[in-house]
Amino acid sequence: MLGVFRLIKITLKKEKNNKEHKSSDKMLKIKDLHASVEGKGILKGINLEVGAGEVHAIMGPNGSGKSTLASVIAGNETYEVTAGDIFLNGENIEDLSPEERAHNGVFLSFQYPVEIPGVSVTNFMKTAINESRKAKGLEDMPAKDMLKLIREKSELLEIDRKFLSRSLNEGFSGGEKKRNEIFQMAMLEPKLAILDETDSGLDIDALRIVANGVNKLKSKDNAVVVITHYQRLLEYIVPDFVHVLYNGKIVKSGTKELAMELEEKGYDWIKQEAAV
Amino acid sequence: MAYTEEELKKELETKEYEYGFYTDIESDTFPIGLSEDIVRAISKKKNEPKWMTDWRVEAYRVWEKMEEPEWANVHYQKPDFQAISYYSAPKKADPNKKLEDVDPELLEMYKKLGISIDEQKKLQNVAVDIVVDSVSVATTFKKTLAEKGIIFMPISEAIQEHPELVRKYMGTVVPTTDNFYAALNSAVFTDGSFCYIPKGVRCPMELSTYFRINQAGTGQFERTLVVADEESYVSYLEGCTAPSRDENQLHAAVVELIAMDDAEIKYSTVQNWFPGNKEGKGGVYNFVTKRALCEKNAKVSWTQVETGSAVTWKYPSCILKGDNSIGEFYSIAVTNNYQQADTGTKMIHLGKNTRSTIISKGISAGKSQNSYRGLVQVSSRADNARNFSQCDSLLMGNECGAHTFPYIEVKNKSAMIEHEATTSKIGEEQIFYCNQRGIDTEKAIALIVNGFSKEVLNKLPMEFAVEAQKLLEISLEGSVG
Amino acid sequence: MDLKDKLVSSFLAFENNVDVHNPVHDVRTEAIKNFETKGFPSKKLEAWKYTSLNGLQKIDFSIFPKKESSLEYKDVKKYFIHQIDTYKIVFIDGVFSSNLSETTHDGVDICLMSSALTKPMYKAVIDVYFNKVASKDESLTTLNTAFSREGAYIYIPKNKVPKKPIEIIHFSTGNDVALMLQPRNLIIAEENSEMQIIERHQSLTSNAVLTNSVTEIFAAKNAIVDYYKVQNDVDSASLVDNTYVDQKDGSHVKVHTFSFGGKLLRNNLNFYQNGERIDSTMKGITIIGDKQHVDHHTLVHHIEPNCESHQDYKGIYADSSTGVFNGKIIVDKIAQKTNAFQQNNNILISDKATINTKPQLEIFADDVKCSHGCTIGQLDEEALFYLQSRGIPKKEARALLMYAFANNVLESVRIPELKVRINKLIANKLGVNLGFDL
Ligand SMILES: Nc1ncnc2c1ncn2[C@@H]1O[C@H](COP(=O)(O)OP(=O)(O)O)[C@@H](O)[C@H]1O
Ligand SMILES: [Mg+2]
Repeated sequence: MLGVFRLIKITLKKEKNNKEHKSSDKMLKIKDLHASVEGKGILKGINLEVGAGEVHAIMGPNGSGKSTLASVIAGNETYEVTAGDIFLNGENIEDLSPEERAHNGVFLSFQYPVEIPGVSVTNFMKTAINESRKAKGLEDMPAKDMLKLIREKSELLEIDRKFLSRSLNEGFSGGEKKRNEIFQMAMLEPKLAILDETDSGLDIDALRIVANGVNKLKSKDNAVVVITHYQRLLEYIVPDFVHVLYNGKIVKSGTKELAMELEEKGYDWIKQEAAV
Repeated sequence: MAYTEEELKKELETKEYEYGFYTDIESDTFPIGLSEDIVRAISKKKNEPKWMTDWRVEAYRVWEKMEEPEWANVHYQKPDFQAISYYSAPKKADPNKKLEDVDPELLEMYKKLGISIDEQKKLQNVAVDIVVDSVSVATTFKKTLAEKGIIFMPISEAIQEHPELVRKYMGTVVPTTDNFYAALNSAVFTDGSFCYIPKGVRCPMELSTYFRINQAGTGQFERTLVVADEESYVSYLEGCTAPSRDENQLHAAVVELIAMDDAEIKYSTVQNWFPGNKEGKGGVYNFVTKRALCEKNAKVSWTQVETGSAVTWKYPSCILKGDNSIGEFYSIAVTNNYQQADTGTKMIHLGKNTRSTIISKGISAGKSQNSYRGLVQVSSRADNARNFSQCDSLLMGNECGAHTFPYIEVKNKSAMIEHEATTSKIGEEQIFYCNQRGIDTEKAIALIVNGFSKEVLNKLPMEFAVEAQKLLEISLEGSVG
Repeated sequence: MDLKDKLVSSFLAFENNVDVHNPVHDVRTEAIKNFETKGFPSKKLEAWKYTSLNGLQKIDFSIFPKKESSLEYKDVKKYFIHQIDTYKIVFIDGVFSSNLSETTHDGVDICLMSSALTKPMYKAVIDVYFNKVASKDESLTTLNTAFSREGAYIYIPKNKVPKKPIEIIHFSTGNDVALMLQPRNLIIAEENSEMQIIERHQSLTSNAVLTNSVTEIFAAKNAIVDYYKVQNDVDSASLVDNTYVDQKDGSHVKVHTFSFGGKLLRNNLNFYQNGERIDSTMKGITIIGDKQHVDHHTLVHHIEPNCESHQDYKGIYADSSTGVFNGKIIVDKIAQKTNAFQQNNNILISDKATINTKPQLEIFADDVKCSHGCTIGQLDEEALFYLQSRGIPKKEARALLMYAFANNVLESVRIPELKVRINKLIANKLGVNLGFDL
């Protein structure tokens, strides 16, 4: 099961320990990343660099591997990294567990947030924050600071306090789930936020609120990777770079004009170009 | 570093039973073995009136003819009743107990248990009656309670001081002939708690008894009797621990609750007797009979958090005799390593408009077996009876088992019974989601288990909910699947 | 003499009429030993906690019919699904009736157990299958095994599908004051084969009948078996039905049990999933009254990974009737990714009716989805009100709701004519005038 699977993973990793350990200190640097699940290759050589203060958008048709890329960066061991490296601030993170990556500032807003019955949003956040603090050798956050933080961030995202006492994602509407993801992001203040289709399921008001939450986080020290199908979100969170992922590879990169072009013309021309 | 199953296992193995220490107190222990003479000797030692002695002897004679039950879904080496000592009193126990008089070694022991009386005193709202092995050693808050007319004392004292009450109610809910262990308990019980709440009185604090098996080779047979007179209210909590020992120790308690018209009793149990070591050696056999009688408009709630014992056999029940009476059962049972638990409830609907709720959460890990066994019975006269039952099991790892045996017997057409049960495991997606938020796998499991158990944890008195939550974490540490 | 002694001593007489040198007879001899030791199950046994056979054991049943009888098709036509063409295996007082039957050997074998147990051409099959999934321990099953001689034998070879459904009907004529019958069926569906079976026990008088039936079903890889049990006998007839199903990879077996008539009905349905991607389905509708007693005991043993089981039993109990449901699901340690579902919903419509239910989950694997739900209650008052507000009188509205409650189990019946028949039976039982013909 889970444990056995992890054992296998570790042996695999051991074999390739002669790899590079350091790289230039871009916030995120991905080199020739290949990943597969159940023996099936999904990512087929991704190269991507994201610098501090930048916003990147990753677009691409369904099934092209966007969520897989996000999961692999976050360390999901369902996916096996068969080649390539991921560096975070110059450090190779292949040996880091998902929680260690989180402690280093990686945040993933899930395309499909997971339900945890009986665990309230507040309790979950309290645990997450204190675990990250523990990893940094800090004491638990005092209750009154925690309360203040929750108040501040829930106001930012226009989240009702009652909502915070509900079981995590259980019975949440699609929009509520996504807003809750961004709330968590705001609480955890990550260095690198990856937002996987955070716009889907949001109405226009919610979209504005979520975008506002993301924009608040943006600073010269942080980076945001926005995965989306639509150009809509990009009107609110303006990307510095746009990449098109198709069939496990980044087939085109450009600026925000590329997003507009995709919106207009669809993905077919990209597919054709890629086929050539 | 990723967290492998191997690592987790190792970690579990290094976690010894937190309360596994042995306090060296001089104690006054009977020779091993059971006979009518021993029964009489226990009674004599306690200076009991004749009616009590006769009651014990009668129970002993019934027990002698009974056979140990086989039907529970547990397997264990039957205790040898002739190899147990039936009386063990810390020698320095003093009848005129004041805190200052308590053996410092005992106090030290309570401290290790995290229930030092000093601390308890500060815990304003809790009155504690502590039973170590077989004799109740210290009771706090007696005076505050006395002002309200509430009687809360060791049952041995109650037999001396309030014989009429004890005699009137003892054995009326659980007769001596009820079952093998109840009969045994009736014959040899050494102490326990007695509680009487007078008519119309709301007990202003949580009453609490702490049981602990200390002496090697002793069985603990405590007897608890709670009588809530008309329109009264009481919340009662019992907690149990035993030091770790190799041989299995026997614990066969009887708890009787009587809720008269319009009365309410909340009875909560946190049980973490020594569960045995990781090879399944040692641990406590916990064979308990708990039953409540509900008169008109009365309400009884049983809440239990069971994390300990090698073998548990326990079905806190409600006899809903009075019209409009209510029975509730909220249970979390956690088993790990080689533990076996067979627990559940019986809701016997006799009166009209009676209602019962059963929420049972079973969590099995390691090589353990966890069974829910319940009975909902609606008699033909019990018009408009309602029952809702929910039994959920969570399995962790692939060497444990979860079993559900809900019996439902209905003889009245106006009954409404709903029963639901589910079995599931912790999802890998759930764990990854937590990991991604910086929560490691072990903590993630604790969080998910707590969420799973929340409905029940919420029913515990505040002071103990946090403790129970910790206990769940301790019992499941390192048992990822 | 009590029934047990009578049966045990009749075994000697029975031996005079069968070939004792046939290896099958060793199986019988073993079986009678087991029955002799165990006897009839008593209420002390957990599995018989709610059903007593004591009353039946007091009746002086004939073990063998006194004389042969015959029946005219026109007199019993209504017991067949006569609207469609079917294969028919018909028995009268336990004896095969060739004039009512329509058997075949055309690519498939739809014929008699007596032939299969005695003729050399079937020996290979009998060696592999006979008494292989039936319990060698449960006393009534072994009692049947001991006297196994006659019943239906169905063998569908690889990739074959019989042209039409198969009806198995047991008539009892009442020539004996009280008669005990012990039919034994063997049904084998080889790889990729498919079949539909309708089984019925019908007594033609009010003389007592006790049937103790055993059916073994083997479904090989990807085979599909639909088995329909129609239990609508007269109120002097009792039935203990023991059905054992052995399933291999990818097979689908569905058993529907419709229990409307009879005095005491006990259904023991046992499924063993010996392969992956298996689907086992058990559905039941029970509508009884008077002093009728129906006991459904199901077992699904999930032995291998990636399988499913579905159970859906509905019951409506009137008068002084008693219903029992005991559904046991076992999931072995290696049976990961099992999905096992069970539903049991009951309505009591009389103060003297009783329902005892005991769903039971025994789970040893962690990556499984198992659930059971059980309700006992009345009709939805809101729905009742809704119907009334549309002008339907309360009595009719109640009947209609009950009809709807039971009826949704029928969705999975794949023989339209049978569906219509059961629909009518339900409507009849509940006194619903549907106002249209089904
Ligand atoms: N856990 C998994 N098991 C099997 N296949 C998977 C899994 N996750 C993703 N895939 C497959 O990988 C491909 C890429 O999926 P995904 O990364 O979700 O695409 P996108 O997010 O771009 O729509 C799809 O073909 C998908 O079916
Ligand atoms: Mg995606």
